[in-house]
Amino acid sequence: MRGMNFNFLCGEPPRPNGRNVGIIGAGPSGLAAAGLLSCQGYQVEVYDKLPKPGGLMLFGIPGHRIPKERIETGTRRMAKRYGVIYHTRTKVCCSAPLHEEEGDHFCADMRGLADLLEKHEAIIICSGSWKSRRLGIPGESLPGVYAGIQFLFPIRAVQYTAPNVKVPDVVGKRVMVIGAGHSAVDVAHSALSLGAAEVCMVYRRSRKEAPCGTYEIQRLEDMGVRWRELTTPMRFLGQDTVEGVEVSEKVVDEQGAMVERTTVIPAEVVVTAIGEIATPPFAKELGLENVRRGEVRWLNMTAIENVFVAGDALSGPSKIGKAVYSGLRAARSLANWLDLKAQNRQHEFTGDLMARSPEPTGSHGAV
Amino acid sequence: MSETKKLSVNYAACIGCETCEYVCRFANETPRIHMARTRSGLMVPLYCHHCEDPHCVKVCKQGAIVVDAQGVVLLNTMLCRGCDSRQCIQACPYAAMFETDKGVMLAKCDLCAARRRAGLEPACAEMCPTGAILYAVPETLKKAETPESLAAVERVLAHIRGK
Repeated sequence: MRGMNFNFLCGEPPRPNGRNVGIIGAGPSGLAAAGLLSCQGYQVEVYDKLPKPGGLMLFGIPGHRIPKERIETGTRRMAKRYGVIYHTRTKVCCSAPLHEEEGDHFCADMRGLADLLEKHEAIIICSGSWKSRRLGIPGESLPGVYAGIQFLFPIRAVQYTAPNVKVPDVVGKRVMVIGAGHSAVDVAHSALSLGAAEVCMVYRRSRKEAPCGTYEIQRLEDMGVRWRELTTPMRFLGQDTVEGVEVSEKVVDEQGAMVERTTVIPAEVVVTAIGEIATPPFAKELGLENVRRGEVRWLNMTAIENVFVAGDALSGPSKIGKAVYSGLRAARSLANWLDLKAQNRQHEFTGDLMARSPEPTGSHGAV
Repeated sequence: MSETKKLSVNYAACIGCETCEYVCRFANETPRIHMARTRSGLMVPLYCHHCEDPHCVKVCKQGAIVVDAQGVVLLNTMLCRGCDSRQCIQACPYAAMFETDKGVMLAKCDLCAARRRAGLEPACAEMCPTGAILYAVPETLKKAETPESLAAVERVLAHIRGK
């Protein structure tokens, strides 16, 4: 299988330009940035906490959706032909304590940002969004309650030996999936194929409002998944391990009126697939709090000179396409910045506006 | 049969990640492949099929849409006047002529003409994470069809054509 061509912007590898940049995170945005910069002659080194480059494309999204060969061939090609170096199992620390996020299991090495800044002329942070959003209701810490990536990550990661990576045991169990986005669909799918006895999907709004769409819901129902809409989890029940979920569901009574009632849905495994949160290192020092989430904000230099940020780390959880685009633009901006700096013309750098000026507009590029 | 390579999206393999649209945007400024969401929530990239006998060419009174020697359907922005009748947009059976707010207010795929001149292939096919976008001669594209991919195309066309 042909790989993703991260070096799609050039043909033959260019002559080295003598510059060295570091990229933190080998997901879609980091790899896209590495592709652009290695096409322009940069020596690129990519750091990632996982044992292989690819990020959530390899470790989050199931293999029947993104074939792993497509990622592996692409990243290998970038290393062999364009000289990109991957430092896997390496975490650049840290806004959160180690072993707090999915994927930290693999880390064998930790580097500080200052070390990286000494080694590289510039850095792009593409660390993505690895922390799961939680419901914040009682019982959420009971064994048997998983968050979305917490459930999906080990299924792909188990092939790389690491302590504490274990595929969730769902065989013969009743599994409840909370949420109706694409990762909720992936969780339901995976639970079925891992041998769950029953899978039910619980969503607080209606089928028509589900982010994954009615077609995906229909497909899951055809496979035997039970869909329960207008149903909000209130608390997780159980002593030593989860045994069920108390939910509040809206139903139509005999008079045809919508009423709310409380019921208990038994389940031995519950997965809350309600989205992720970005976990950029050094969010405060980099001035990332100035960035509004969920907008198409592209590339940019942070409050620290020579440090750029892209992808989910910048704009919150999104789609692969947006992450790729953000990585490409950040890489282009970095190259512009270094070119101007080499000529002592930094003041002409415009890039864009984020975190460079207290005024939202009006001082474009004037530092 | 034509020897020119064309694009084909396997909608059964597409996961709607929008990488095609965003790399097209990066390579061409205005994207010429667009992610649409059907009523049932399927995400489907719409794109020019470079038809053998294109309707868009026939309806354009300016002669601004032409088929080149290789069979690639091209928009000549010097002749297009962004007319209000929008007949090319209406005529396209694949909903692949896109209204924009730039220039002649129309964008269409030219199979990355500038990239092909540099010996490169269309950006969307190069970067698709799933491998759902093929760039190959029609015969190869035909061979790659599966019952799933054909059924998926039918679902997409039913959506485009409002059935």
